[in-house]
Formats: sequence, C-alpha cells, structure tokens
Amino acid sequence: MSLIRPRLTDHFGILKAQAELDFAIPFFDEDVPLYVDPFLLWRSPSQMDNSLHTGLINAFNHLGVLMSEGNEVRAVSTLVAASECDEVGLGSSRKRVGKRIGEAKAREILSLFQRVPQYRNSGFRHFEEIQFFVEGISKDRISDICCSFLKSFLIDFTIDQCKALGIPRAAVDVADVYDYRQNLFVMRHGLELPINPLDKKPLLFVPKRWLRFVPWISYEDYFEKYCPQDEISHRPEELTHVAVLNYNVDHFAVVDGYVKAKERTFEDCHNDPLFSQIPIVSAKRKLNLIRKLPTGKEGGADKKYEDAIGQLFPSLLYPHLDFATEQARTESGTSIRDLIFYNTASIAFLKNVHQDYGSQQITFELKNVASIEIAHVDQLNRYMTGELGRFGVFVTRHELAKAERQRVVDLWSGQRKAIVTLTDDDVDQMVEVFESKQRNPIDVLTKKYAEFRSRCPI
Amino acid sequence: MKTEEDVQKLEKLIGQMNGLHSELTLLAKKPNDALNLFKMKFVNKVLHDANEFLTGRYRPFDDFSQFTEDAMPTNSDVTLILTQYMEQIERFRSDNVANIALNKWVYMLDGKESKIEARPATRVAMRRD
Repeated sequence: MSLIRPRLTDHFGILKAQAELDFAIPFFDEDVPLYVDPFLLWRSPSQMDNSLHTGLINAFNHLGVLMSEGNEVRAVSTLVAASECDEVGLGSSRKRVGKRIGEAKAREILSLFQRVPQYRNSGFRHFEEIQFFVEGISKDRISDICCSFLKSFLIDFTIDQCKALGIPRAAVDVADVYDYRQNLFVMRHGLELPINPLDKKPLLFVPKRWLRFVPWISYEDYFEKYCPQDEISHRPEELTHVAVLNYNVDHFAVVDGYVKAKERTFEDCHNDPLFSQIPIVSAKRKLNLIRKLPTGKEGGADKKYEDAIGQLFPSLLYPHLDFATEQARTESGTSIRDLIFYNTASIAFLKNVHQDYGSQQITFELKNVASIEIAHVDQLNRYMTGELGRFGVFVTRHELAKAERQRVVDLWSGQRKAIVTLTDDDVDQMVEVFESKQRNPIDVLTKKYAEFRSRCPI
Repeated sequence: MKTEEDVQKLEKLIGQMNGLHSELTLLAKKPNDALNLFKMKFVNKVLHDANEFLTGRYRPFDDFSQFTEDAMPTNSDVTLILTQYMEQIERFRSDNVANIALNKWVYMLDGKESKIEARPATRVAMRRD
C-alpha cells in the first residue's frame, strides 16, 4: 500500500511535523486549503517581507504603466500569466491545477487603471483592492497573482528549505517567472527544484507566515461590515454583487476608507495556522459523549463514536502526529473507519515505530464494539502493510479479552507486528493531560505500547 | 546505619518524602492526571535514595524501584507508592532508634547507642538481629 494522501516530505522519507517547518508541506494531488495574503507581507515586521510587498505592488502597477503607454496587449498577457501559479498548490483545487483568467477579465481589471483616478495617478497600495471593483476575483486569485509575481523569491526559498531538510531536487524548467528588470514573465531553465512524482511538475514552497484562510482586505468583510448597503439599495434583491462593485467604482472614498481602516488595525492581522487544536472544553464534551454512548450500532452509536474520536484525536495527538485523513473501507461486508496520521518521528517512541515497524503512517482503527474479536484483529493485521508498516492501534471501548490479547501477542511473536489498544479510560487520560498539560496525550499511546511489549516474549 | 552522615541522609529523606507526599496528594484530586516529567525526576531521586536504606524486608515491593517515563504514572499511582515507602522508611527508622531514658530517644549506629537524638519510634520493632 502506498502513502495515503501523500505529502512531499513523507514521500521522500523525511519525517517532520508540519509544526516544525517554516513552509506549508505540499500535497501531491490536492491543494493546501490556505491562501497567500499579500497584506501579511505588508504588515510583517520583516523588512524582507515589506520589500517583497513593494516589489509585488510595483510589478502590478507596472501593468498600469503599460496601459497608459497604450501597450494593452502586453499588459493583458502579463496579467493572464500572473493569474495562476500551480507550482505552489494553495487553494481549494482537488487536482493542483487551476484555470487562468480570460483576456476579457484581464482587460476589466486593467481598466481600473483608467476608470479609477486614484489608480491612474498613484497606482495601487494593495492590489487585492481589485476585488472591490471586478467580479469573480476571489481569494485564490489574489493568492495566485501574489505568488506569480514573487515566484523568483519562492524558488530561492524552496531551494533553501530543500537543502536544509535534504529533500531531493531535479533540474527543471519553470514557466512564468517574473523578471524584475524586464517587468516580464520569462521561462527559467534548469532550476533545481523538488518534483511532484505524480505529474513531474516542479513544486514551490510558501512560508507559513504568509498564509491565511481569508485575505485581511476582503470583499466579504467589506460588504458585511463597511459597505453602506442602504446607500446602494434599500431593496435587498437589488443589493447584488455587481451593484456593489459599480458603487465602489463611483465612490472610491468608501473603499479607500475601508482599506485605511484595515491598515490601522494591522496588528490584529495574523497568519492562520495549518491546523488548530479543538478547545479543551470541546475535548471534554466529546469525551463525555463517548462515555455515554452504548456499544454497537443502535441509534447510530458507532457513527457518533467514530465522529467524536475523529474530532478528538487529531487535536490530542498534535503536534506529534500530523493528521492525514479519515478513511472508510469495507472488508468482508463490514464497514471499517480509521484515522491515518503521518508519522513525524518527533519523539523517541515514534522513531521506534518507524524504525522497528517501518510505519511512515500510523492507522487508528475505530471500533465501537463491546469487545474486539479475533476477526477484528485479523482485519487490522491484513491492513498493516506497506507504508502503514507493522504497527496499528485499535481505538475501542474496552481492553481486549484474553484470547484476543493472546492473538495480538502471537502476531508479534510470529510476524513482529504490534497492535496497541486504546480504551475509553485511555482516551479519558489523554483528555485529562490535554487539559492539565502535565504530559503529552501521545504518552498514553507510548504507555500502552510499553504495556503491550511487556506481554510479548523477549 | 553506620555513621552520623547516614542519619542526616535519612532525616533529609524523610522530610523530602513527606513534602512530596503532601504536594502530590493535592494533585491526586485528579486521579487520572499524569505526573509531569519534571516532578517525576525528583520523585525518582527520592525513591533512589530511599532504596539505599530499604533493602531486604524493608523494600515495599520486590519488583518496583523507580517510575519509568513510559509507564506514565498518574498522581494517584505516585501517592500510593510514596505512602508505602513512607511507611517502610518509618519502620526502618523505628528499628534504628533506642529509648535510653524517659522521653529520650537516640539513633543506633552500628548497633550501638549514639548521642544523636531521635524522635520516638512509632512502629513496632521488627529487628531480629
């Protein structure tokens, strides 16, 4: 079995937790659901980020210069080229491939340099303001335009990170790299970058500090909190997106006021983490729910149990294990749900799991049953192959009975496979230490493994 | 016990053990919560020192000497063990003091009465030597 939801680092056998790295680890077959917010570069305490923002704005405003010189064709082609940056893999695409804007949309954006006097005279301060005037400009488009103009920096950043971590690279051509001197997108040949093994295309890393779910300056925020809706229309059905955009063109001062207000409150603008743990109170609520659930399927108890564990474990085990995905499979007519985590080898126990059992990923099989049966042990045993290695975890309600405990020990004796069981009491203790911070919840797993090994023959 | 230094070690150990026990009993109100590694280091240090005195019949459990990090003991596990050790260390101390006059107790060093004053024995003597 190959890696489930492969990430670049895990694919190359580099076991690092996302929390330890400065960049968002790219997936091979889907995008990271975050976006580069250019405002984060503007508000950054780092002079380098500020300079990059200036470079970005200069590059964008140069399109206005081209328009004023009558060179619309070049301006349009440059903006179309900038509108997509597949190498970074950010956004909501399931395939890591985006679609560029059309020439008509590019012309509409570029017309702002003529239609809005402030842009004609002074250019943009924050190019994401285009959202307020042109329909169909969303956060992923802002993010892609930003990455395209900063691609040269991202190439250097990626190379540095690859060198530091030992990620393999290969010589590759990268299209549409912005040349600051020529103000043009050009092809760069023979750059040493990491390659997506699925499509052989280059991958670029993006610093985590630039990422947000929603840009700080965003149309939705403006519409909800700042836009004078009554002035645009008193009738809700007439308060359309297009009506607001048209209003904005004619009332630039309103947009200007919003942007200035956002600039004033820049200290509240922070990057969003790639993963947020659930609050302690929520973890305790889930534990109480689990404690009250009956075993079996009656009243959807199995589904409720799986959902509660599915929400608890990624938080409890973070940052030692990065959550990969929740899977459902059917074996011998039985539906099985499990949680897959990337093994980050960040603590001694996880290193052992990697070295001794070859687990690049770890599976937690969820079983809301009164007792684990031999058949369940065998099902998990059959699943423990390939990148999952020979280590697996049952998350269930009670400890294994004698026969099943013996079967698990026999599996270790015969095949050197380890199956650890986490029960309600263990989940209880994990939540307890999650709250008290006296130990890490993953230490409960370490403890259960130590108990398991103490039962195995030497 | 052979020297005055041993007596000082024992008295210090009893003080530390009482202190740890009273602190950890407060934490044991959450019995499922685990002892953190910082505290465990000191508990283990005290247990190590206690094990030097508590040999043979004084050792509370044959198969236990210290907590391991992997075992992830809870606060109540630790208070349970500390209570057992406190009981045995007091028994050991009681066996090593002698009542030489009314309300006057001294430590025995190498089987002989010393001049080091002691608190009265609180456990029934177990010494058979």
